[in-house]
Amino acid sequence: MEKYLLNINDLKVTIEDKEILKGLNLQIKEGETHVIMGPNGSGKSTLAYTLMGHPSYEITQGGIQFDGEIINEMKADERARKGIFLSFQYPEEIPGITVEEFLRTSKTSITGEMQKIIPFRRLLKTKMEHLGMDESYASRYLNLGFSGGEKKKNEILQMSILEPKLAILDETDSGLDVDAIKIVAESVMKIKDEKCSILVITHYNKLLEYLEPDYVHILMDGKIVKTGGVELANQIDEIGYENIKAEFSNI
Amino acid sequence: MLWKRIGLKDFEFPKVHDYKKDYIKIEGKFPKEVKINRISESENKYFDIEFSGVGDKFTSFAKKYYNAGIQLRLPRNTKIVEPVKLEFHMDENNPTLVDKNLIIAEEGSEVNIIMDYYSNEKIETLHNGLTVIYAKENATVNIIKIQRLGDSSQSFDSNIAYVEGNGKVNWISVELGSYISGSNYRTYLDGEASGSNLSSIYLGDGIRKMDLEYTMIHKGPRSISNIETKGVLKDNSKKVFRGNLDFKRGSRHSKGVEEEYVILLDPTVKSDSIPALLCDEDDVEGEHAASAGQIDENKLFYLMSRGLDERESKKLVVEASFRPIIDRIPYKYLQEIIFDEIERRLIDA
Repeated sequence: MEKYLLNINDLKVTIEDKEILKGLNLQIKEGETHVIMGPNGSGKSTLAYTLMGHPSYEITQGGIQFDGEIINEMKADERARKGIFLSFQYPEEIPGITVEEFLRTSKTSITGEMQKIIPFRRLLKTKMEHLGMDESYASRYLNLGFSGGEKKKNEILQMSILEPKLAILDETDSGLDVDAIKIVAESVMKIKDEKCSILVITHYNKLLEYLEPDYVHILMDGKIVKTGGVELANQIDEIGYENIKAEFSNI
Repeated sequence: MLWKRIGLKDFEFPKVHDYKKDYIKIEGKFPKEVKINRISESENKYFDIEFSGVGDKFTSFAKKYYNAGIQLRLPRNTKIVEPVKLEFHMDENNPTLVDKNLIIAEEGSEVNIIMDYYSNEKIETLHNGLTVIYAKENATVNIIKIQRLGDSSQSFDSNIAYVEGNGKVNWISVELGSYISGSNYRTYLDGEASGSNLSSIYLGDGIRKMDLEYTMIHKGPRSISNIETKGVLKDNSKKVFRGNLDFKRGSRHSKGVEEEYVILLDPTVKSDSIPALLCDEDDVEGEHAASAGQIDENKLFYLMSRGLDERESKKLVVEASFRPIIDRIPYKYLQEIIFDEIERRLIDA
């Protein structure tokens, strides 16, 4: 049997008694890049939140196996320590802790090693340069007053500092202009080189031009209804979901 | 105040002894016209006011049996930047503090005052305070009060200010300690374009009972008031919050806003919020908003998704809710004292 980093098996998830994921299967191997596309309301963000362990999302059937372990019951912080990272579609604003303090605390708890101030600052500075983020953001309160684009960059900054095994990018490209998408894509490519697996949830193709995904999945009504290569994403870009919807409703 | 709400029926004052510790701390040099002295009988006329504060019993007791406090008079156009600090660190030998304070800011003057009430966890202490402020035309009084007495303490604090035209009184109140705490702030916006801000935070933990009442009375036209309160309740703590905006006849074009936001960390807490808006004048604007809810689950999730455990994440979310108020305190060392105390009560307890 092949070894998967992430193995989702017949997953059903409800939120406030409404079933959103209705038997989803997905397998991701180390170093692979997968893309999930789908119309609004198909369950894309639910999948992202469920993988990260949001307490409002209840798994009613099936399981999520990550790095050889069933993680259904794990809290978000345990999952983070196991190597799952979620780049949020809408990152939260937390006044009171600066980006630098927060990331140092976060890195310390994920690695279990105290992060020394000076080397950490150097690392942070380098990563921020890569992302074209002004240094001053390091001493600003986490996401407070950041523009939509800066919030997204800050998510990618966190990803590149925390070096996860699986990075889930939930609509990371929305709200970014073309140049910013390119910069973000470069950072994602870098962690991909470190054998990180990537799950991209997106509406658009822009990010995919850079990322060269191994698989593209179409999520509809809580299930993956079609899997293919990057050509599938191109097809949707051109003609939308209508054909697939029709195909799917005939089943 | 309706003390029955927090279950204080037959309160008896202990015998008041001298408060022997030095509490006036002044760094830097003030102009010699600025007079800061221990409170004395010579100023009694300024306390001849109708003000029941946390209760008539408490204010009349403070008027008569005070054992500490200051009288501060700022001459015209005198502005002092360095704060006047009053540090009341109560201990075994000084377990009862009845402080009576008078601040008179003459026309165009400005002053910053910090009053810090502190005691060791184990010692049973009683604090009953009365502070009266007169801000004359164009004067500004910024006053920060921090109540961080230990859990065996009781605290009662009554504050009143009279603000003349273009004058300003800015209160910051930080309520972190005592098992019973009553705190009352009343500001009369007497003059035209007078203003007052009251920013406060409170933290209830253990079995703390808090009764907070903030009142803004608009008399002068174009007067402006703003009450902003952020609270957190945990364990079995109880709180009553009363925010009153009162627009008297003649206060046309005035505006008052009050806002209270409280996070309830445990289902065992009790939180009452009673906002009141009284209007004798038509052409005024009064707004109030109150909300009480559990900790923002999405914020918590965001922090936990970065590997921070639940306790640490909760602490950060709570601190984040206090932060906008604490950032208004322009003294770093005080911010640190406050956050240390919040952290101690949230995490170490």
